[in-house]
Amino acid sequence: MLNSVIAGLSSGGGYALLGLCVVLTYRLVAVVNFAMTAVGAMGAFVMVTLTDEGLNVWLALLIGAVSAAALSGVFGAALARWFAGHREGTKAAVTVALFVALTAIGVRLFGGTSTGARQFPNPFSDPVFTVGSVVVPQSVLVSLAFAVLITVAVGLMLTRTRVGLKLQALSERPATAQVVGIPAPVLAVGVWSGVGAITMLVIVLVAPRLGGDFGTLAGLISTALAVAMVGAFRNLPLTLAGGLIVGCLEGMSASVDSIQKYQGVVPFLVILVLLWWRSRREVWDTAHSR
Amino acid sequence: MTAPALALDGVKVNRAEVPVIHDVTLDAAPGEVTVVLGANGAGKTTLMDGIAGLAPVKSGTIRLDGTPIEKLAPYKRARAGLGYVEQARTTFRTLTVEQNLVVSQSGDGDLGTVYKLFPELDKRRTLQAGYLSGGEQQMLVLGRALVSAPKVVLIDEMSLGLAPMVVRRLMGTVGELAGMGIAVVLIEQFANLALDVGAHVHVLRKGSVVFSGPCEELRGDERRLHRLYFGGPPLSAAAGADPAAADSGGGTAPHNGSDAGKTESELE
Repeated sequence: MLNSVIAGLSSGGGYALLGLCVVLTYRLVAVVNFAMTAVGAMGAFVMVTLTDEGLNVWLALLIGAVSAAALSGVFGAALARWFAGHREGTKAAVTVALFVALTAIGVRLFGGTSTGARQFPNPFSDPVFTVGSVVVPQSVLVSLAFAVLITVAVGLMLTRTRVGLKLQALSERPATAQVVGIPAPVLAVGVWSGVGAITMLVIVLVAPRLGGDFGTLAGLISTALAVAMVGAFRNLPLTLAGGLIVGCLEGMSASVDSIQKYQGVVPFLVILVLLWWRSRREVWDTAHSR
Repeated sequence: MTAPALALDGVKVNRAEVPVIHDVTLDAAPGEVTVVLGANGAGKTTLMDGIAGLAPVKSGTIRLDGTPIEKLAPYKRARAGLGYVEQARTTFRTLTVEQNLVVSQSGDGDLGTVYKLFPELDKRRTLQAGYLSGGEQQMLVLGRALVSAPKVVLIDEMSLGLAPMVVRRLMGTVGELAGMGIAVVLIEQFANLALDVGAHVHVLRKGSVVFSGPCEELRGDERRLHRLYFGGPPLSAAAGADPAAADSGGGTAPHNGSDAGKTESELE
C-alpha cells in the first residue's frame, strides 16, 4: 500500500498545482474556470502530436505550452471584454460551456477513451531510491518540487512585485483598480495565459500515470476543484496540502482491489465531505437562532 | 479665460440600460474646485462614474485637456490624467498604505507629496489600509488619486460617515489640490462647505443640470438650494413662496451647461 501512496504523491503534486491554478484564477480574476484542464489537455495533445511527428520533445513542450497559454488568453480576453460586469455564476457557466465545447473538439480531434490514448513522454519514471520495499520514483520528487516551487514563486510574486500588488488590488476591488490606472484586462489575460501554460505542463506530468486520452485529462477539473475547495479557494499552502492528500487517497484506493474501480470517485467524495464540514456551523447557528 | 481641463458636452449616461444622466454639459477649469450638488438620486454618482468610465456614456463627448476620452477604458482615462475618489473610502484593504499608493503611482506622481500633505499616512506606511481610521482611509484614497499625477480629480461624497472636524480638514486639502493646478470636481452632501471651497457650481436634478453659476450665488441661500434640489418651494415656506419661481413637476427642468450663468428661474 505504501508504494501506491508514494506513487499517488506524484499525481498529488500535479493535483496541487491544478488546484493552485483554480485558486489563482478565482482570486485574481474572480472566475471559477471549468475549462482550465480542457485547455491544458489541448496544449498537451498539441505537444504529443508534434513528438509523434518526430519533433524534439522540448521544442514540442514549448509549442504546447505556448498554444495552451494563447488559447487560455483568448478565453480570458473574451470574458474580460464581454462578461466583466457579470456575476461569478454567469462567468463560471461560460467556462462550463467552453469546457463542453473543448472536450467535444478534443475527443473529435485526438480520439476518445478507447481510441485516443497517446504515449506521453515519461522522463521521470526511474526510481530515485528504494527504502525496504518502497520505491520512490523521480516523478514524485519532480512533481513535489514543481508544486512547491510554483506555490512559493506565486506567493512571492503577489507580495513582492508591483505586478503582484496590482493583481491583489484588482482581485480586491476590480472597478477601483481600473480607476487608479491598473490595466485590468491586460492583467486578466496575463493570468489566464499563465494558468493555461502551467496547466498544460501539469497535465504532461501526470498523463503517463493517469492514461493519455483527452477525456480523462480534461476531466481532471473535478480533482482540481476538490483540491481548491480544501484551500477554500483562497489559501495557497492549504491548496498544496489538499493536492497531496487527494493524490495519496487515490493511491490508497488503487492498492485495494475491491475499491480500485471507484478511484475516480475520490475527488467527489472530498468535495462532499468538505461541503458537509463547512456547512455544519451554519446548521448549528440556524438551529440555535430559532 | 483658461481652457477647461475637463469638458462635458451633451453627455448621456445609462445605469443598467436606464437613462440616468441627460445631456449634461459642464466644464472644470484647472486650479479650481467645481462643485456638483443635487438631492439623493439626482444622478451625481452616475455622472462621475460616466466620466471615469465605470458607467457607459451613451452619447456626448468628454474631453480631458481637449482630448476625447469617452470611449477609453477606465484605466486609460486614469492614465490620461483623470483621478477618481469614489464614494465609501475604497482603499485596497489588504495592501499597506505604501502599497496602495505604489499601485496607483504613475508618471510624475510622487509619494513624498502625499506624505507631506497627509503626515498621518507617513506614520502608517506599513499598516494595512483596512486598519486605518475612516479619516485616514479617506486621506489614503485622496493620496492615491494624487500619485497618479492627475490633471482632473473627481471626488464623490468624501465626507460620508466622517466627523465634522475631519471633513473640514479634508476640505482644506481639496483647496490645496486646486492650488497645485489640478481641476477638482467635488460632489458633496454638505453643500455649504463645498460652496465655500468651490468656484463654480452645477446643480443636478433628475439627471439634468438645472443651475450653473458661481458658488457665491448659492452660498448661504438654503431656500434657493432647496428649490433647485427638489423643484419647488421648501414645505415650511410654501405658503409664502413665489408660485412663479416654483417648479411644477421637477422632471422637466431645462438642462445643460450652455445655460451656465443663468439663474434657476431663467432656466425654468
